[in-house]
Amino acid sequence: MAYPLQLGLQDATSPVMQELIHIHDHTLMIALLVSTMVFYTILTTVTTKLTNKNMLDSEGIQTIWTIAPGLILILIAMPSLRVLYMMDEVNNPHLTVKTIGHQWYWSYEYTDYKNLEFDSYMIPTQDLIPGQFRLLETDHRMVVPTDSPVRMLITAHDVIHSWAVPTLGVKMDAIPGRLNQTTFVVSHPAVFYGQCSEICGANHSFMPISVEAIPLIHFEDSSTSMLAKI
Amino acid sequence: MSLQKPVMRGLLARRLRFHLPIAIAIGLTSAVSFKYMVTEPRKRAYAEYYKHYDVNKEFNAMREAGVFESVQPTGK
Repeated sequence: MAYPLQLGLQDATSPVMQELIHIHDHTLMIALLVSTMVFYTILTTVTTKLTNKNMLDSEGIQTIWTIAPGLILILIAMPSLRVLYMMDEVNNPHLTVKTIGHQWYWSYEYTDYKNLEFDSYMIPTQDLIPGQFRLLETDHRMVVPTDSPVRMLITAHDVIHSWAVPTLGVKMDAIPGRLNQTTFVVSHPAVFYGQCSEICGANHSFMPISVEAIPLIHFEDSSTSMLAKI
Repeated sequence: MSLQKPVMRGLLARRLRFHLPIAIAIGLTSAVSFKYMVTEPRKRAYAEYYKHYDVNKEFNAMREAGVFESVQPTGK
């Protein structure tokens, strides 16, 4: 989850997010290369009184400063497209979870075997117990197994919302009348937090997402006990 | 005795020829430094973390600490 004074992306807890972090580092490296070069060039330009009023076309440098940015773009695009297509793979999901965005909460449905449905409201600040995170905790968490591809089907009931969990590298708009699909694999057990990522009204900032990932054997037990409670 | 005529032309071009390789070198140095000080250590850190990761040990530690809601600590 996010922490104070954080500058970079959250640590990855899915393979896709690891790839996204690597490509972000790669692109940032190229941006640093260009920025430092341009900064030094501007510095040398503003610290001289020398001018050339007769500078006209120069095919040599124009060729260079067309080809070089093209090569840089190719260097960025190749890994980017690789990760893009990797994210689009469906990978035979073991579980499908449907999530519906409402104003202002998420509801989850597990309908693969039996019908398990529940709503997930934010825990208000005054009801938090010590150790819980403000504006991130929910009364019911979405539970998924680790090391298993999970398919998310995302839609909305009223206005556009967006289901996002940064550490898993997942963000998908929840649009009324449309079903969006995404998949993820959780690498290790933990609790992951996200927040609604599309402006949806007064309480847009108060409809968080919390995902609890546990090993598969415990997931089966917990699903059985959740069904028994309903 | 006559003084050598000072260079009067091409001063800006000379300055650019001097500073452009420096600009390229600084850019490449910063990129390579970023790669070997940030990118590669990060990749190694992730590989190292998952190389010796014990799922059951970590899960049980979190379970006993009461992190999860779907599974209770073994005492309860």
